[in-house]
Amino acid sequence: MIRLSRQATQRIAFWLISLIAGLVIASILLIVGLVIVQGSGAIGWEFATGFPREGMKEGGILPAIVGTLLLTIGTAIFSVPIGVGAAVYLAEYSEDNALTRTIRIAIINLAGIPSVVYGLFGLGLFVLFLKFGTSILAGSLTLGIMTLPVIISTSEQALRAVPHSFRVVSVSLGATHWQTIRRIVLPQALPGVLTGVILGLERAAGETAPILFTVAAFFLPRLPQSVFDQTMALPYHLFVISTQVPGMPIRIQYGTALVLLAFVLSMNLIATLIRRHYRERRQW
Amino acid sequence: MMTDPTVPEYKIRIENFSIRYSDGVESLRGISLDLYACQINVLFGPAGGGKSTLLRALNRLNDLVDVEEQSGRVLLDGVDISAAGVDVVALRRRVGMVFARPVPLPMTIRQNLFYGPQLAGMRAASSLERLLEQSLRQAALWDEVKDRLDEPAVALSGGQQQRLCLARTLMLEPEVILLDEPTSGLDPISTAKVESSLQELKGRYTIAVIPHSVQQAARVADWAAFFLQGELIEHGPGTALFTNPQDERTEDYVTGRFG
Repeated sequence: MIRLSRQATQRIAFWLISLIAGLVIASILLIVGLVIVQGSGAIGWEFATGFPREGMKEGGILPAIVGTLLLTIGTAIFSVPIGVGAAVYLAEYSEDNALTRTIRIAIINLAGIPSVVYGLFGLGLFVLFLKFGTSILAGSLTLGIMTLPVIISTSEQALRAVPHSFRVVSVSLGATHWQTIRRIVLPQALPGVLTGVILGLERAAGETAPILFTVAAFFLPRLPQSVFDQTMALPYHLFVISTQVPGMPIRIQYGTALVLLAFVLSMNLIATLIRRHYRERRQW
Repeated sequence: MMTDPTVPEYKIRIENFSIRYSDGVESLRGISLDLYACQINVLFGPAGGGKSTLLRALNRLNDLVDVEEQSGRVLLDGVDISAAGVDVVALRRRVGMVFARPVPLPMTIRQNLFYGPQLAGMRAASSLERLLEQSLRQAALWDEVKDRLDEPAVALSGGQQQRLCLARTLMLEPEVILLDEPTSGLDPISTAKVESSLQELKGRYTIAVIPHSVQQAARVADWAAFFLQGELIEHGPGTALFTNPQDERTEDYVTGRFG
């Protein structure tokens, strides 16, 4: 066996690691680049504001854009209060006992469940048992439950990262535990909580399987009128026009992908900006 | 000691007080001690002697940690404050505390000072501002911060931060002030400022302080209590205790033979 000098081993290791990092970046650039090159031709006023025409081969994707927006908002309405509330409970109130250990295990396991299983669960519970029908309500609830683990675990981490000394000082100045949480801990944890919320919602916005049985429509000639209506959504629409409609123009497919990508990446950007803004202002 | 006619009026009486943490460490054993009004009461001794634990029993900050077992009584103006039904929030407004490391809350200087009184329900800007100036003057910080009250409190130097913490405690208009090694991280000049503030404050408050050195203990003590491994070894007037300790262990510690 050839014995290399330590310096040579180090050089080779650096070279390999750089190569791997380069591959990761290259694949991201390739995907985004491909979608932009192939899809930008479709982007235009009609694409963003029009309904699909001619068997979806012409026209725009407005109902899918609106649908994804509504589903994201609906998901936030359910998952943010419950998720942040659960995180406050776990970080601030719960003791380390069998119950909280069970809750934590449940949260970890929830995060690992395949999204199609959430879809089936939503179908069974919200669509059929609670009789919400295939609706924005059922879809938002399903996506909301799927998003909870991300929001709970990132929020709990953010809450725990607030220095313990703040809590002791606040209590010593005559604050109750809840006043301490509301006036000191939550404001300090807010950037971390928001980051977790946005990352969770971002995943919800891009998922297809959970909305498949609970809300998504193949094609609708009008925008949804209430939370009990079905809606089109970007990920499902992309799936439909890529696999279910023969002879789809490729620029429509990639145009839709580009809009979805832009939607998700802009949420990511907002999360990054919030984090940076607060990190600069942080006082500990 | 208790028969001495010069003994002042007590504010806090600790009766046969013991505490043990849930990790099995017995922190205090059978402490009986009076803390006197309008005096600087010094609790001193080597680390791990239970001084901080005793201080935190006086404003019930021990509630935040796992206490396994507690017995005895702590009387504030004759009322047992160690009992279960005590209103701890009201208690902590009467018994303020300054910690070893200054911890400004992540807000402006003014907001730090208003935090306690506002939670206590004080809303009127005029009373808050009057109290703010008075507290900052008592803490010897007014001249340094009067023009920068809306800057973040962390922008202050370490010594200023600690005096801000003292002022923040004074904003509660407490009856008792507890100080747990308040000058441990400070330079000599800041330390002197805090010590002289204490001398002025003792006219109106009951002060209990854990000093960060024997020298400081001897400098500031009107009354001193020597703690060793969870027990109160000796308690007496500062001058007597530091010049003529009755217990051999106190003498060894005061003269620097251990510690």
